Amino acid sequence: MAVSVETIVARPAAPEPRRFRHGALLAVVQHGYIWFWLAIFAMPFLATLFYSVQQTGGGLTLSAYQYVLGSFRDNLVLSAVSTVVTILVNLLIAIPAAYGLVRYPVPGKNLILSTLNLSLYTPAAVMGISLVIAYAFLFRIPQSFIGLIAAYVVGTFPLMLVPIIVALRDLPMVYEEAAKTLGASRWQSLRRVELPLLGPGISAGILLTFVIVFNEFLVTLFIAGPNTTTAALRVYTLTRTAGFQPSTAALATTMQLVSFLVVLLFFQVFGSRYLKGTYLI
Amino acid sequence: MAQTTLPQSLPAEPAALPLTEARQTRRQTLIGVGLLTPAALVALCFSIVPLFYLVQVSLTRGSSFFFTPEYTFDNFQTVGTRYVSTVWQTLKLASLASLLDLVFGYPFAYILIRKVRYREFARTMMTFPLFGPLYLAFGMFYILLPNGPFGSILQAMGINVANYLFSLPATLFAMAVFTFPFMVMNMGAALSNVDPVLEEAAKTLGAKPWQIFTRVLFPLSRGGILAGFLMCFGWNLGVFAQPLLLGRLQEQNVLSVVMYDKGLIQFDYGLAAAMGVVLMALAFFVTWLSLRFSRGALGT
Repeated sequence: MAVSVETIVARPAAPEPRRFRHGALLAVVQHGYIWFWLAIFAMPFLATLFYSVQQTGGGLTLSAYQYVLGSFRDNLVLSAVSTVVTILVNLLIAIPAAYGLVRYPVPGKNLILSTLNLSLYTPAAVMGISLVIAYAFLFRIPQSFIGLIAAYVVGTFPLMLVPIIVALRDLPMVYEEAAKTLGASRWQSLRRVELPLLGPGISAGILLTFVIVFNEFLVTLFIAGPNTTTAALRVYTLTRTAGFQPSTAALATTMQLVSFLVVLLFFQVFGSRYLKGTYLI
Repeated sequence: MAQTTLPQSLPAEPAALPLTEARQTRRQTLIGVGLLTPAALVALCFSIVPLFYLVQVSLTRGSSFFFTPEYTFDNFQTVGTRYVSTVWQTLKLASLASLLDLVFGYPFAYILIRKVRYREFARTMMTFPLFGPLYLAFGMFYILLPNGPFGSILQAMGINVANYLFSLPATLFAMAVFTFPFMVMNMGAALSNVDPVLEEAAKTLGAKPWQIFTRVLFPLSRGGILAGFLMCFGWNLGVFAQPLLLGRLQEQNVLSVVMYDKGLIQFDYGLAAAMGVVLMALAFFVTWLSLRFSRGALGT
């Protein structure tokens, strides 16, 4: 009898260490899997970075980066300018559109939203071929800066619109009504009350527009001319014509680094709440 | 007199009220339409009109549309006969890459949602592929270069990189990595709606891990899985940079690449437009399906 009591007491104690070890092993495998994929995501960037600073005889050098501010400067400036202009135009058309869709009784809202989002679902090459034909023979603006901006705006303003709609839905009417009751004009209420409260949603739209437009090369490949070659397109054309050069790698590294720093800054300031359900996570 | 005028004026007010209300609503509607006009104009001019124009061009021979349009259905017939391999190759690459995403993305999304505390960090790292397939393919090319530093490491691990530099696996891998975040995003949203208590209950009742997956997790997250797969498929249909940089001629035979060659190099606008229409139809159909299975960003 005494023996059986001992075994009953001992039995639950015996498998304990093994179960713990099994759990620990599982955790290592699970976290290892996550880190494995995170490493894969970063690997192409790290490889490009390494290639751009590598010297032929061994050792490291920054000499490839002289081209980034040298012969690639115009492309980078064009990329930066077109990104900023696209963001501004997007803001000007997306904020009113979001108000119209959320706050006013417009008929056929779902149809309107689907139509506005149409360009988001169009493959880039289809957008490129349709725009290059329309620009050349309908609007008569081939290979122009305006055409470039129009293509970027139509391709990215839905990405600006959706986070603002989400933010505006989360914003109770009470704030606007209180401002109105206290004697604020519509403009004052918008500028002092609503826009600051919509800030995170708007900034999410700005981030998405930035990430897409700054790195866009496919639509650009179709519609750009010699004077409208953005930095991302330059990476593509150089890769196709000159093969894999350290200077191209330096340009690609710079583009990715700038994009990543902006994303990092955004996540630090706003978190990823307003990016849910959009292009970025 | 006062007693007779008072009842007369009283019913007049409720009668007038619905009218002003209707007028008010109409005014509100007009303001709403006015606010939507700039966005609608942009979408009309640079998305809808060019797409209709594309359909029209696809029904004309060669580049005749711009001189004297010769209307014909030949372009679609050509796509359906001589370029049917291009359509199949596009569908094959897109479905295989999306399948890879599905197989590797599901455990990733599950672990990320249930076990990981450093989710913000993971999200930040996951933005790298979203900077574009071009940089991704460029970096992968360098990794697979046989005499490069990464190539020699992989070679030491027993992987002969020379076999993979221009190949189907390299192309598929680059495509899968590019769309991986979309898959994880959709699956993560679906999985975070599944209460962990259900899994614990199944475990308590003696279910094996695979039983928990097939009986509890999979049925409850099916919508998100399907939406994620279709979203990846839709993005991969328009693939361009990965086959060009990492594939053989066989892999480069996809709609976007051939369309670019036909339209902007050989100036056969009719055929390029027809390919564009086919690709557009495929993409819109996939998107429509995907939106049916997900609740969408607006929860409608």
